[in-house]
Amino acid sequence: MELPILPTSVIGSYPKPRWLLRQYKLYRLGRIPEEDFNEAVRDASVAVLREHERAGIDIPWDGEMGRSEMTEYFTAKIHGFRFYGPIRVWGNFYFNKASAVSKLEYREPLVLDEFKFVQSVTTREIVKVPITGPYTLAEWSFNEYYSTKEDFAMDLAKILNKEFKLLEDEGAGFIQIDEPAILNHPDEVEWAVDVVNRAVKGLKIKVSMHVCYSNYYLLADYFDDLKVTQFALEFANRNFRDMDFLKKLTHQELGFGVVDVHNPRIESPEEVARAVRKVFKYIEPERLYINPDCGLKLLSRNIAYRKLVNMVKGVEIVRRELEREGKTSIPLRTLRDI
Amino acid sequence: MRIIPALIGSLPRPLGLAKKIELYNIGRLSEGKLEKAYREYTKRVFEKSRDAGIKVVTDGMYRWDDIFNPLIRYIDGVEINGLFKFYENNFFYRSPVVKGEVSLLDNPIPKWIRVAKEILEDVYPEATLKAVLPGPVTLAYHSINEYYESLESLVNGYAERVLNPLIKELEVEIVELQEPALASELSRATREDEVHISKEIARAVIEELGKVKKLWVVTYFGTPQIIPEGVILNVDLVEGSLPDGVGGEIGLGVVNARETKMERADRIRDRLLKLSGNFSIIYVTPNTLLDFLPESVAWRKLRLLGRLGGE
Repeated sequence: MELPILPTSVIGSYPKPRWLLRQYKLYRLGRIPEEDFNEAVRDASVAVLREHERAGIDIPWDGEMGRSEMTEYFTAKIHGFRFYGPIRVWGNFYFNKASAVSKLEYREPLVLDEFKFVQSVTTREIVKVPITGPYTLAEWSFNEYYSTKEDFAMDLAKILNKEFKLLEDEGAGFIQIDEPAILNHPDEVEWAVDVVNRAVKGLKIKVSMHVCYSNYYLLADYFDDLKVTQFALEFANRNFRDMDFLKKLTHQELGFGVVDVHNPRIESPEEVARAVRKVFKYIEPERLYINPDCGLKLLSRNIAYRKLVNMVKGVEIVRRELEREGKTSIPLRTLRDI
Repeated sequence: MRIIPALIGSLPRPLGLAKKIELYNIGRLSEGKLEKAYREYTKRVFEKSRDAGIKVVTDGMYRWDDIFNPLIRYIDGVEINGLFKFYENNFFYRSPVVKGEVSLLDNPIPKWIRVAKEILEDVYPEATLKAVLPGPVTLAYHSINEYYESLESLVNGYAERVLNPLIKELEVEIVELQEPALASELSRATREDEVHISKEIARAVIEELGKVKKLWVVTYFGTPQIIPEGVILNVDLVEGSLPDGVGGEIGLGVVNARETKMERADRIRDRLLKLSGNFSIIYVTPNTLLDFLPESVAWRKLRLLGRLGGE
């Protein structure tokens, strides 16, 4: 499969339409039946997917319309977790942090239906399926059952591996493992890498790993050990400072974050283009994808959309420059290519 | 030896209050109604602390987004930057970016403490109220320093020009300084930083602040590497251990505020018994901020601490 040079993508989440949030509320209160809620989620998925496509995103997703949150959605479907109540992440944002209270078991597909639906309605050749990774699921859960966190995370890796293989069999071409917590404990990163590698064992498709708000110098020590095709990282939030660690990214791709998801200011296309040119010092255009720093869900929908539009416009400025050098497209690289 | 149950730092901000703050932020709730909500929820903290048997309390820090905000909004020379992980937690703070000489601006913190004290006197007058502030060392380590020659100059700036005048204004007997950095230097998890504050300077600035008011210095996520004199030191016994050379009054973090699993009171008592000869008073506390737990579990852990109190 060929993609335009500097393929644009999203990280995952996107602001849910207000009408969908109302449906979530009504559904939780038991005031609408499940089938009505599911229909609303599907309608929102189409709306957001079209929004991504209209913005010009090459590899879209549906903004996780059916997911309440990035860990809770998964822990609620994996047998062995229970919930005690929400905890705060920052400001007034909360998530339901689960506690592992018995051995974890895979009893039902986690995102297969979501993928099949998005695949059936997108106009693009490929979509990216974001899934929270095993280390982050363990790190962002409480553990009342496993004697070690490594055992806990490894069981999650085995569960996710089953889901990944199912997705691959059903035609998914690009999975993104979200591991924002993987660098939390520097002394655990070595086994955390094994955990991620266990989760992707046997896969042949494209796999990206998203890490944000972390020390990338620590991650860089493990670039070569991680069996992924791409690292999708956040740079706008840190004002594109300290990018020297990218010298260690010698063969995998970079998903370059150029949109700050915690700031409502809309980056101009010229700013995006400048950032992209800046990263060329480290990564050649053929190994570069462009995305926002992270999920866009904390922004208002209008601002999130305009940020994506300008991101694509900025990329188009650089694409025109690359075209003069004869660089117009790249092949989709998979795990077979690294 | 006396064992006194105590709260350190923040409590989980109740969802109901968070919703009110959000309504205020988008202009759909008046300042007066938000203030009323803060007072009602603070009253609830003191009532529940009383019922749980917690003798030394904070106001739960419901007005704070994290241990630095909103204080850093009231520091001249500081701008607010993007989000950073607070150590290795799935909890984020807005980082201060130091652009000029720091100095304390007019701020509402003394008034908030006065309000909390009035509420406490109304519902739980026997309790002791601590005001909570970030310690200078932790604040400096979590800053992006673009002005001072060194982090050590910055720590001095924060101590002398921000915390010293603020502590003087607070109408409490004890001020709690959140100083996890004394036990756990800024983790490599979030930043690649080679800049350090020497132990001597860290100790000296805290001891100097201790001359202004009695300090309760809370450390966590490790064993304190710096032992300031003349303060109540709080040590995290879940993720660290008791350092040599401490005695008198001490705070011991004996329940894990980062795990929902409940501790057994008998095991904690046995542990405290072994330490009883070393201290005149042991304040039993959570090992770190209870903000990392669901509210219901946080209160269960506090009730457990309450049961440990006594001679």
